[in-house]
Amino acid sequence: MKTFADLNFPGRLIAVEGLDGSGKSTQIYLLKRWLEAEGIKVYFSEWNSSELVKSATSKGKKRELLTPTTFSLIHATDFADRYERHLLPLLRAGYVVLCDRYVFTAFARDVVRGCPPEWVRGIYNFAALPDITFFFKTDLEVSLNRILEGRPKLKFFEAGMDLRLSADPYESFRIFQGRILEQYVAMSDEFKFVVMDANQNVEKQQCIVRKLVSEKIELRKFRRRSPLPLPPAFRPGEAKALEHEEDLAAA
Amino acid sequence: MNVQEQKNGCRCFYGHGIPRVKLEELAGKLIVVEGADGSGRSTQIARLVDWLETGGHPTVQVGLKRSTLVSKELELAQKGNILSRSTLSLFYATDFADQLENIILPALKAGFIVLADRYIYTLMARDVVRGMDEGWLKNLYGIAVKPDAVFYLSVQPQELVQRNLAKNASLDYWESGMDLGLSRDMFDSFLKYQTAMQAAFRKLQKTYGFTIIDGNRPVGSITKDLRKKIRMVLAE
Repeated sequence: MKTFADLNFPGRLIAVEGLDGSGKSTQIYLLKRWLEAEGIKVYFSEWNSSELVKSATSKGKKRELLTPTTFSLIHATDFADRYERHLLPLLRAGYVVLCDRYVFTAFARDVVRGCPPEWVRGIYNFAALPDITFFFKTDLEVSLNRILEGRPKLKFFEAGMDLRLSADPYESFRIFQGRILEQYVAMSDEFKFVVMDANQNVEKQQCIVRKLVSEKIELRKFRRRSPLPLPPAFRPGEAKALEHEEDLAAA
Repeated sequence: MNVQEQKNGCRCFYGHGIPRVKLEELAGKLIVVEGADGSGRSTQIARLVDWLETGGHPTVQVGLKRSTLVSKELELAQKGNILSRSTLSLFYATDFADQLENIILPALKAGFIVLADRYIYTLMARDVVRGMDEGWLKNLYGIAVKPDAVFYLSVQPQELVQRNLAKNASLDYWESGMDLGLSRDMFDSFLKYQTAMQAAFRKLQKTYGFTIIDGNRPVGSITKDLRKKIRMVLAE
């Protein structure tokens, strides 16, 4: 599998991965704010957000209709829709695309649910790899506490209740998240994850993220407009010609 | 599992299959009828159901775009015509998987005869015509259980066009392959697309070995032909 840079795309893709409560969404949001302020062409895309597929997914989840196989396929459908309609054209147009979760989420989750790893990876093999993948690695207890403190009611699939790991949603969530963490760790080298210590404070992490992004990606190439050229030294007689040019440009 | 089944022992998935399914428990029969719109598929299936049920066999029917999970959304998305090809492909695969796990596998376990009005082959053929990678499709549909019999009703595109127009007085956008831009003329596009679909089916036939039935014949003689072949499947 190749990255977008390997494939000579003008754009670049940055993905964040990690457990629920690892702080990855905060980090990518702050990264987005910075890139926008720098005048970079940036687009943000979230896992499981395609308008097209959303109603099916939420029905499936609400009514607990999903099996590991259909859970996997419906998320792949969502991904394909975003990939083909948004990510690819934007990357062709030279955008920096930020993804809150990418194919690795499926590689980790679906495999924990019991889908064969080769099958899952095969399905996503139409997607190129990110140019940078940040893996926000927390101690399991840290991310569990962040989630469980803020939002005491766990959703059925989020807690991995479909796996019948435990009748207690909290216990089920712990076991499920623990297994996903193992999958992420196992993939880290293979996919060259930038492993972030997500136990440290948010600002410190963001500094590292920004530094790394600016080292790995030549950001000035991704500005919305290249800086305006300095006005030519004004010489009498040229003003008219200049105006004429501007009119032409406006037309 | 009885000795007979063990001897035939051919119940298997095409690929990785569905996690935690015990194949030896799937005692029923899965019979697939493939073919384009207007090939006589539905007519033949209705006749087979009558015949089987009269003969005391419990039957269940499945088909494309009939899942509880995504059929409605798939229909809507298709009307809007905004799906790119991998998305459409995966949406159909989701619809298939939902029916596979919630209808086909439980029915086979209960010893029913499952009649599928099209199966993975139509889905694969459509994608092959649209230039999708065959290896990718093979992996994707490795979840499918191998049927006991697959019949492909082959009808000349010129005949299909007549039958579709006689029935609906119009041609279906997708069955005419209008998304492929083969021709702006729907009639021409239909003929080109159906010809390409037949070529794709012939290609798939080499891998999946289904029985090609000449669908240009009268309804009754096709039914007779199908019954004869299905009797043999049931005797296995």
